[in-house]
Amino acid sequence: MAVTIAQLEVVAFEVNRRAAIAVPIDAEQAFRRAADRETNPLAKYVLDAIVENAELAVLDQRPMCGDTGLPRYYVKAGNDVHLEGGFAALERALRAAVARATQEVKLRSNRVHPITRRNPGNNVGVFAPSIDYRFEPEGDWIEITAVHKGGLFGSDYRMLFPGDGTDGIKRFVVDTIASFHRRGLACPPAIVGVGIGGTKDQCFTLSKEAACLRLVGDRHPDPVVAQLEEEIYDLCTKTNMGVMGLKSDTPVADVHCEIAYAHTGGTPVAVSELCTAVRRSTARLYNDGRVEFREDPRWFSPYMRREGIDLTSAEAGAAAWAPAAMPEEATVN
Amino acid sequence: MSTTADESQDVGAAGVRELHLNIPLTEADIRQLRIGDVVYLSGPIFTARDGVYGYMLGQGHEPPIDIRNECNVTIQSAPAGVEVRPGEFEVASLQATAGFRYGQWMEPLCSRYGIRAVIGKGGMSEDVYRDVFKKYGVVCLSTMGYGLGAIYGRAVKRVRAVYWKEQLGISEALWVLEVERLGPLMVEGDADGNSFFSAHAHEVDEPLMAAYEGLPAPLLSRLGEVRDPTKELI
Repeated sequence: MAVTIAQLEVVAFEVNRRAAIAVPIDAEQAFRRAADRETNPLAKYVLDAIVENAELAVLDQRPMCGDTGLPRYYVKAGNDVHLEGGFAALERALRAAVARATQEVKLRSNRVHPITRRNPGNNVGVFAPSIDYRFEPEGDWIEITAVHKGGLFGSDYRMLFPGDGTDGIKRFVVDTIASFHRRGLACPPAIVGVGIGGTKDQCFTLSKEAACLRLVGDRHPDPVVAQLEEEIYDLCTKTNMGVMGLKSDTPVADVHCEIAYAHTGGTPVAVSELCTAVRRSTARLYNDGRVEFREDPRWFSPYMRREGIDLTSAEAGAAAWAPAAMPEEATVN
Repeated sequence: MSTTADESQDVGAAGVRELHLNIPLTEADIRQLRIGDVVYLSGPIFTARDGVYGYMLGQGHEPPIDIRNECNVTIQSAPAGVEVRPGEFEVASLQATAGFRYGQWMEPLCSRYGIRAVIGKGGMSEDVYRDVFKKYGVVCLSTMGYGLGAIYGRAVKRVRAVYWKEQLGISEALWVLEVERLGPLMVEGDADGNSFFSAHAHEVDEPLMAAYEGLPAPLLSRLGEVRDPTKELI
């Protein structure tokens, strides 16, 4: 039994369609709460309109925002999945689905050659759509998450040092808000993703995934990270720089931090903000043909974050990378 | 066409003054607008962003529409829309892009073509309002919330034409859209050169600066924070 390409094409189109149109429930509820508690009348007027917009997009089945972002995929493969045609066929199906969704869902053709600016008209091009992969040690399935994210404002990177401490991380997040919430360039109330540590590119990748692939209200399993999430959330709230850059009680919908082990001398940090047009949709396809759609990408797994692994022991640490229990035939062709 | 006959104004939720105007806008239409007002527009508008500004104002290609007399409102945008059949276009959703980066084009746009309103996201600099918009009688309207694409898309009743698609690509082309009650749009820059965001900067800055309290400056600076590239960053 294998996941068929025909099925992948249908499902990949469908996650793009759903992502473009429907604000996920966790985010919509967050915007409703923000509107309900807002004390600045003009900010409330706008937040009410954002909630209404989410309703109308679903009612009319039209994209929630006129900038339909850059369609991209996050793919997670269980180690026991079998794909008809393998991963090259999967990628082909994912690209085709973006081109089809562009025409049929009426996405804006945002992807252009960065120098000539030529627009192929289907959101497909060089490294477009981008596709990121992760793996799980068990599972006879593959998960496809479509994310459409705007790309101009709300992200920044900085190399900090141990001497900057967590206050340095906090200050950098406030700097990012001061830069991109002014006049509302980043379209707040945003979901803030903070990538801390790792390599420069890793922390940026993690910040994007933290913003786009975790539900509002979710907290990191590491209590140290979870506490930092709460503290940064409180600090962001304190800025009062919210929707359209207006003084507002809810500048951010949530803050999600992800960590990766860093160079002993540095703390690279990146911030990615996800705007009020929250666009993500996930489907899981099983070897036996079943398909499940859901709004929670469940991207960050215990395996990915090395939860429960004794990282101080070389043997145990290595075991996490090559689980002894993994059957040999589970490798993917 | 008379625009004043259909004008109406209400005080909507939150005490916001709402006005309904028809395009083409008259000078009187836009002179009555104050920063913070909310406007709904009906009539033809045209899209322009990097591509159209460069092609029309930079390279001097004359627009194929009568902007001054018929279509004197522009939106800094291209819609989420497609060519459903050759030459036939449909729009699903609409939202403006951040207009600050188009300030350099406002003088030729307003002086040559009789624009009365520019719709963008988040407005432009006060210099543009003072030096250009005040001189020619133009207002800057901002889309609101910035993610109201479905609401604005609903207001697009028909795509009249798409020009320069071959030259600029579909997402930089000049779209002429017939809109009905396109809004809410906030008056960000009025015809006297005032900016809503500038006028409210103080109330925004106060809590922002309070959030910085106790947070030290980073050990390593960046160019940008230090504007002189010959300065040490450490």
